[in-house]
Amino acid sequence: MSTPAISVRNLTKEFAIPFKKERFVAVRDLSLEVPEGEVYGLLGPNGSGKSTTMKVILGLVSPTSGSTSIFGWDSRQVESRENVGFLPENPYFYKFLTGLETLLFFGKLCGLSGARLRERAHFLLKLVGLENAAERRLGGFSKGMLQRIGMAQALIQNPRLLVLDEPTAGVDPAGSREIRDLILEFKAQGITVLLCSHLLGQVQEVCDRVGILHRGRLVREGRIEDLVTIQNQTQLVLENASPELLSDLQRQVEAAGARLLSETKAQADLERFFLQVTEAEASRHSEVRLSSDRS
Amino acid sequence: MKSASSAHRLFSGGRVAALAHNTLRELIRMRIFYFLLLFALLVIGSSLFTVQFTFQEQFQVLKDVGLGAISLFSWLLGLLCTALLIPKDLEDRTLYTILAKPVPRFEYLLGKLLGVFLVIAAAVGLMGLLFLGVLALREQQVLAETARTTPPEQLADALRVVRQSAFQWNLIPGILLIYAKALVCATLTLLISTFASSSVFTVLVSVVVYVMGHLQGIARDYWLAGGEASPLVKLMVGLVALVFPDLQLFNVVDEIAAGKAVSAVLLWKVSGFGMLYTVIYLLLAQAFFSQKEL
Repeated sequence: MSTPAISVRNLTKEFAIPFKKERFVAVRDLSLEVPEGEVYGLLGPNGSGKSTTMKVILGLVSPTSGSTSIFGWDSRQVESRENVGFLPENPYFYKFLTGLETLLFFGKLCGLSGARLRERAHFLLKLVGLENAAERRLGGFSKGMLQRIGMAQALIQNPRLLVLDEPTAGVDPAGSREIRDLILEFKAQGITVLLCSHLLGQVQEVCDRVGILHRGRLVREGRIEDLVTIQNQTQLVLENASPELLSDLQRQVEAAGARLLSETKAQADLERFFLQVTEAEASRHSEVRLSSDRS
Repeated sequence: MKSASSAHRLFSGGRVAALAHNTLRELIRMRIFYFLLLFALLVIGSSLFTVQFTFQEQFQVLKDVGLGAISLFSWLLGLLCTALLIPKDLEDRTLYTILAKPVPRFEYLLGKLLGVFLVIAAAVGLMGLLFLGVLALREQQVLAETARTTPPEQLADALRVVRQSAFQWNLIPGILLIYAKALVCATLTLLISTFASSSVFTVLVSVVVYVMGHLQGIARDYWLAGGEASPLVKLMVGLVALVFPDLQLFNVVDEIAAGKAVSAVLLWKVSGFGMLYTVIYLLLAQAFFSQKEL
């Protein structure tokens, strides 16, 4: 069996509370494994221990007991971070650096240099749609742009594992969809992703498996379809169905001893609707501009 | 594309250089070098407002003010820059992103510190050049005036006296010692910032240690005078000397400013002392920082 991308074994992390005897237990006896190439979603309410788990995996804090490893390297060893890209929640980078300088800086920290690094930085700026902001300082970036540059720096050394903490926080729906598409692209390339997000719809779209943390314990874990599929229910979506057909169907369902639980008009989800409207508006504006330019 | 090399080097000069360069760039873009204008005003002002004094007094004031200001500004610069850097990286979470890369914590500390050292070097270099430039200019003015007002048979002696009281070569090692002192203080501040909870705390503790560093030599001489000190007092004095650097040693710069001859051996001794403390503080900073929970 190949080495898992992430392995967490009986991890417990406690923090001392200043001026008090008792200790705060952020993570309790957590064990999980993420095989290479999988997109794993770590879910849980605020304060459930997601960020602490990520920090232990990345070697930023040390475990009280248990251990974590990345591709077989113990997280406490620097080597474990050779193949990891990390995007923290609400990333703050050096505001005095430009987009390009930021990527060059992080690239040098990963041992890259020269033309290869520049090439990679320009490629990533284009990938995250910031090629026009290469020479702009991060102090003037919007939250969404910071998130994108954060994604680009996480990818700088072409890592085999990406750890993304709320990657779409503060990003508009179009940007959020782009990030989701990027994650799906990483998945297609065989990159392992550990994703922490509150946007459950998005997690459902991109993750192979999820783990749900509550008060530092892993309360559920499994493949998304296994967790959310209701085995004894089936959903049908019909187009152009007449009222007669619907009542026929209902009769047949009852005759077969099954039960029709709900019948509603199908709805597009709000995100898709929002994107359709904004994209249509954007193309209408560009057409108006083009025609006024011509006249 | 192939993944980054898996052969991780335990120490990489490239990574340290990237961190040092970034720190230097950060401090330059914070426009800290504007303080040099203040220094220029001080030095030029002290040369302008002393024209009614004898030329010996003028040169002495200029040297005292110049070297004193270089010492004060380089210490302050090192203190403030170092006290801001790590807590700021921690508060802004920039530290997470850096240490989530394959960067050992020691390299991060060293890179930050070297960046500050470079900034102090640039500042001391610029201040030194400005100070020596003003001194040379004043010397030329006094020489020209002396040549105009002194009878020809006394001119050679008069010019020699002017030259002796103006620029002396040991001013340059004097400036280097000021730099060494600023490095010791900056590294000490780095050590404090690895366990301090805020920049303000770091600055305050660092100032206290600076003051104690100047007083501990006097205290030691007082306690150990007469050779009757108890072993406990000796131990206490030894401990204080270990924790607080004896910054009085750097007062050799005052003697240089006063035009006294200072032996090369003493200069090397003080420089060696500075280097030793810098290394000890850096290692202690690493010991704290390596255990720090981020």
